[in-house]
Amino acid sequence: MIIRISRDAGESYADYNVQVSEEMTVLDALFHIQENIDESLAFRYSCRGAVCGSCAIMVNGMPLLACKTPVARIEELNNVYEVFLPRKGEVPKDGMLLEPIPKLPVMKDLVVDWEPFFDLFGKLELKLRGAGNPPEKEYLIAKEKVRELEKYTNCISCALCWSACPVVGDLKDYPGPAALAKLYRFYLDPREPDALNRLAIANQEFGWWACDFYTNCKKVCPKKVPPNIAIGKARSQLKNMEDNQ
Amino acid sequence: MAGNNIHEHDLVVVGGGLAGLRAAIEAHDHGASTAVVSKVYPLRSHSVAAQGGINAALGNDPGSKGDSWEKHAFDTIKGSAYLADQDAVEILCKEAAASIYELEHWGTVFSRDSEGKLAQRPFGGAGVPRTCYAADRTGHNLLNTLFEQAYARGIKFYNEYFVTSLVVNDNKCTGSIAIDIQTGKLHGFSVKALILSTGGYGRIYERSTNSLINTADGHALAYRSGAALKDMEFVQFHPTTLYGSNILITEGARGEGAHLINSEGDRFMIKYAPEAKELAPRDIVARSITQEIEKGLGYAGEYVYLDLRPLGAEKINERLPGIRQIALDFANLDPIEEPVPVQPGQHYSMGGIAVNNEGETSIEGLLAAGECASVSVHGANRLGGNSLLEALVFGKKAGKKACCNNRQTGPLSIVKKVMDREQERLENLFSGEGDNWATLTKEMRKTVYSKFGIFRDKEKMEKGLKTIERLKDRYQNTALKYKGKTYNQALLKYLELGYMLEIAEAVAVSALERRESRGSHYRTDYPDSDDDNFLKHIILKADQKNRPAISYAPVRMGLFPVKEREY
Repeated sequence: MIIRISRDAGESYADYNVQVSEEMTVLDALFHIQENIDESLAFRYSCRGAVCGSCAIMVNGMPLLACKTPVARIEELNNVYEVFLPRKGEVPKDGMLLEPIPKLPVMKDLVVDWEPFFDLFGKLELKLRGAGNPPEKEYLIAKEKVRELEKYTNCISCALCWSACPVVGDLKDYPGPAALAKLYRFYLDPREPDALNRLAIANQEFGWWACDFYTNCKKVCPKKVPPNIAIGKARSQLKNMEDNQ
Repeated sequence: MAGNNIHEHDLVVVGGGLAGLRAAIEAHDHGASTAVVSKVYPLRSHSVAAQGGINAALGNDPGSKGDSWEKHAFDTIKGSAYLADQDAVEILCKEAAASIYELEHWGTVFSRDSEGKLAQRPFGGAGVPRTCYAADRTGHNLLNTLFEQAYARGIKFYNEYFVTSLVVNDNKCTGSIAIDIQTGKLHGFSVKALILSTGGYGRIYERSTNSLINTADGHALAYRSGAALKDMEFVQFHPTTLYGSNILITEGARGEGAHLINSEGDRFMIKYAPEAKELAPRDIVARSITQEIEKGLGYAGEYVYLDLRPLGAEKINERLPGIRQIALDFANLDPIEEPVPVQPGQHYSMGGIAVNNEGETSIEGLLAAGECASVSVHGANRLGGNSLLEALVFGKKAGKKACCNNRQTGPLSIVKKVMDREQERLENLFSGEGDNWATLTKEMRKTVYSKFGIFRDKEKMEKGLKTIERLKDRYQNTALKYKGKTYNQALLKYLELGYMLEIAEAVAVSALERRESRGSHYRTDYPDSDDDNFLKHIILKADQKNRPAISYAPVRMGLFPVKEREY
């Protein structure tokens, strides 16, 4: 199979001829190339089990985790995957086109600069502020609440949703789906003393109100996190508060 | 920054996993200017992959009323085959509850019982349900919390910096040298203390559950600088890793009631551990599975089944959703409907950099915490749920110790000198014409897995050691063709291989030296434990010629005397 990989931020492409096997993942194919054909190739990896969020890339325009995508399933995915982003290169005949995820600066080959994505942890203060005097033991939290929180804590910060969101990059300072979902998770958290204040941080045109509900975020999320639902609920909460004032 | 890319901090923590971040937060909160230097972004660290849980005798579960730190300590020490240092285990178990509550107060979302308290599940080798958890994403949830807390404190992160050398003079550590992976430039760090928290050495093995980044970096950095390694022969094989990719299938699955089944449909653990069955400690379950397979009672001669169907769909979806997803994604099957093919695989490094109970190594100013250290609380076999706990408890201790000794930095000129030496060394790497790094890495992993695996003997291991020594020679002439500066991953993999080969040799030498069976170290030529000669730690230090020199250290007993390990 011809695997075509973006080099120099899509300025050029390199084609590699790889003998693919049934169980080979896209990440395996990248290792095969790096180890046997071209050691200059760069791509990110760590856990190879879809939990660390390192290996988000675009395959034929589909934003995916390389480690959990079998090469043999690409053709099938071409028919069922819901989100296709603009490609810079051409998909080779019977082959596969690998490009870095968009909306983050390209450092080399498939490696992008994550700084703008992680900067939001600081900008939106994405942590539990917590009360001054916590209980001696654990806070008591109902199971149902945990179930709701888990929907959002399952985020692995892979930035696939960031790359697939039409608003990100289009609107300056929009924090994007992952950060808003995480912010909402702290609003939801019963341990948070001033929860409504958390919603207020992003109560701006370029915050909660910028989402256009394309729901690409949820569709590409490998952990089924629904930022669109968090954003929708945050908006109605803020609207209720306004109406009551 | 003092020109020439030298950064000054009170403390540098190498590695941004659970132990490293916990250490960094502690040091920061004690007023130390603290930086985390990590070859990956912290959230990509291997801690994120920890699934099943974290132990503390909270007694929340109806089945664990009256649980105590002493019972936790007893289970841990028995599980360790009596090689754990008992004063260290006492600290681990006494501080367990507070460590977990602290993370809970910082925002970690744990699974709850019907009263809203932290839920606890049964785990291998534990007398009662003692393992707190966040479904099967405990490490992910804990690591996210610590990252959030560290980030909010303004702790300095040097992400994607690969440490190539420590600065050690007169047995005192005052810095480190690292490559900025993004630019390829070398940076120096001048410090009062340095903590290594780089994870285990799992990737010296084929068939490992570990992230691909667990390449013994901290162990080799410490060892090359003259620090002692301890009990390196003790390598845990997890009984249930997914056949094919060896991705971990948590012990929590068995804790919740999953069965191990051989090709005749028998629940074979009943034979090997009549009481504990599937919840015997990992060393015992891993050996039992291997024996079943070797007797021809496996499937395709390679694996057995882990049957989650007795749990039912609801329990699987609520408590093991990540496991279900792993089976769907990586084995193309749904554990609600089908059993999961599993085989044992390398999982955890009990051995590590020798440290005291406060994380100090034999080098002044150099500390270590987490999986890369050996305190030792795990001895010859770690119990599930104790590694996340160790990272929190001893990460915190190391962080405090590192910044509270009126420590001084060394002269910048020494850092500069080592940096220049490293610059020259790295530039001269690009000249070999031998095998490529990937070929040697594969050979090393195959060798270590086949010769230092679950069943060991002298003949096999001597052959293995010879192969490793030959690989070390061939490494000197490894071909490295790409000379680019930005994200030169070939260079990093070459350097990682150097680290791994040295540590593979250390594992081999220690394993040959221990002429008995204990915990994870099982020798078919010495099938019994030999307390008279080997109830002691094996210590390795690099000698003048950089060869491993063996010495011993006594096990610190004190709580529980040695007893037969029956399960």
